[in-house]
Amino acid sequence: MTKETFLHDKHTALKARMVDFAGWEMPVQYTSIIEEHNTVRENVGLFDVSHMGEVFVSGKDSVEFLNKIVPQDISKLAYEKAVYCQLTNKNGGLIDDLIIYKLGILEYLVICNASRIDEDVNWIVRNSKGFDVKIDNRSHEYSLLAVQGPKADELMRKLGLTTHQDSFTIKPVEIAGIKVLVSRTGYTGEDGYEILTENKNAEFLWDKILEEGQIFGIKPIGLGARDTLRLEAALHLYGNDLDENTTPVEAGLSWSIPKDKKEYYNGKEVIEQQLKEGGRKKLVGIKMLDKSIARHGYDVYYKGEKTGVITSGAPSPILGANIALAYVNNNDEICTGTIVQVMIREKFHDAEIIKRPFVQKRNRVKF
Amino acid sequence: MSIPENILCSKSHEFLYDNGDNTFTIGLTDYAVEQLGDIVFLELPEEGMDFKKGDTFATVESVKAASEIYMPVSGKIINVNTSAVETPEILNEDSYEKGWLVRIEPTGDIESEQADLLEYEDYKEELE
Repeated sequence: MTKETFLHDKHTALKARMVDFAGWEMPVQYTSIIEEHNTVRENVGLFDVSHMGEVFVSGKDSVEFLNKIVPQDISKLAYEKAVYCQLTNKNGGLIDDLIIYKLGILEYLVICNASRIDEDVNWIVRNSKGFDVKIDNRSHEYSLLAVQGPKADELMRKLGLTTHQDSFTIKPVEIAGIKVLVSRTGYTGEDGYEILTENKNAEFLWDKILEEGQIFGIKPIGLGARDTLRLEAALHLYGNDLDENTTPVEAGLSWSIPKDKKEYYNGKEVIEQQLKEGGRKKLVGIKMLDKSIARHGYDVYYKGEKTGVITSGAPSPILGANIALAYVNNNDEICTGTIVQVMIREKFHDAEIIKRPFVQKRNRVKF
Repeated sequence: MSIPENILCSKSHEFLYDNGDNTFTIGLTDYAVEQLGDIVFLELPEEGMDFKKGDTFATVESVKAASEIYMPVSGKIINVNTSAVETPEILNEDSYEKGWLVRIEPTGDIESEQADLLEYEDYKEELE
């Protein structure tokens, strides 16, 4: 049986096309993916991302415990700050990618991918033996709304946000009279906020945000545009670009891993070695040189030999070109500017390795 | 978009239109293009190519995914809609008059091959 978020009736009333995503019935588009994409780049969009997981970790050993399960250094995470992390297995492979928020002294919130909640919780609980921590999966109690786009900040002020909030921070605030947790994070490559609320307030907040956002040209945005937006920003999608056989180094996430973390974490030997020597494969950005579109699973060739595989691919409405992420052999010859071939329906199509992100954030906020 | 009279539709959402001169026009139904969403890429066969009923003869891509298009009857391609290849978004506006895909000359027993195709009203009913 597919699960529904507390905003399901709102989506069907808006005549969204609903699809199954990781066991959830979710809106893929309301009107048009391209139109919704451009709305987020130009104005502001509202997303229902309530399918994502919320796991609370608290207790005396929280820091030591979290430090064991992610390569990042949680002891350096300050109150009300957030950090992008990965949950790694013993081989350095990715169980999931996460954002960890510090909500209080020895109190952390882990937000994880909908498709990975069960695996994550099992892994987290299994790893907690011997640590004095409480692990509380409260995914079913919370709804998550994302307000994303260059006008997101103005809209949040109209909704009652009174204080300035830096990027990657989280605060308990009141929005439209409702007590919520607001974090300045997102998955679109734009400025934006994510609002964590109790399920009972989800519908009220959804309506209120759309109503107050009208003057900013707000639109509800489906998972289709969420995918093209994150791809333009070269943000990874678990299951496409990340899996248990891929390390954070191979996935191009070395920037997120501290080089001086003393504590042991799962997969540390492999990750530290790869930080020095590189991985078996590497993630690259690709731009197709003709009108064809590279899709997940298509093979990539270099000098006539198979070198890798496309993990995500779609048209970029902003670039007017078709872009993709791919893993290729960790070969120094394959770098920015190199021409490779993608096999599409038994024909080779030229593509160029280009820099990520494909589209730069235009509205940078302070970290 | 207006729906031409007397079209036949396949369960895989292609339409077949009898031009009355022993040629037929093939394309995607309005339901198909609505379900696909923004169409961004179209790959059509070359003129002169032969296909059997059920063969993949073209590919359409929306933002999200690539989908194959199947021959509703056997035929030889005599004309392809090059303007649809250049501006695939016209399929979203009108997949019949502007966004048709190919014209064919039937090469099989057209009568029996049409037997599993549905009239538009019946096709619409099947979808509900």
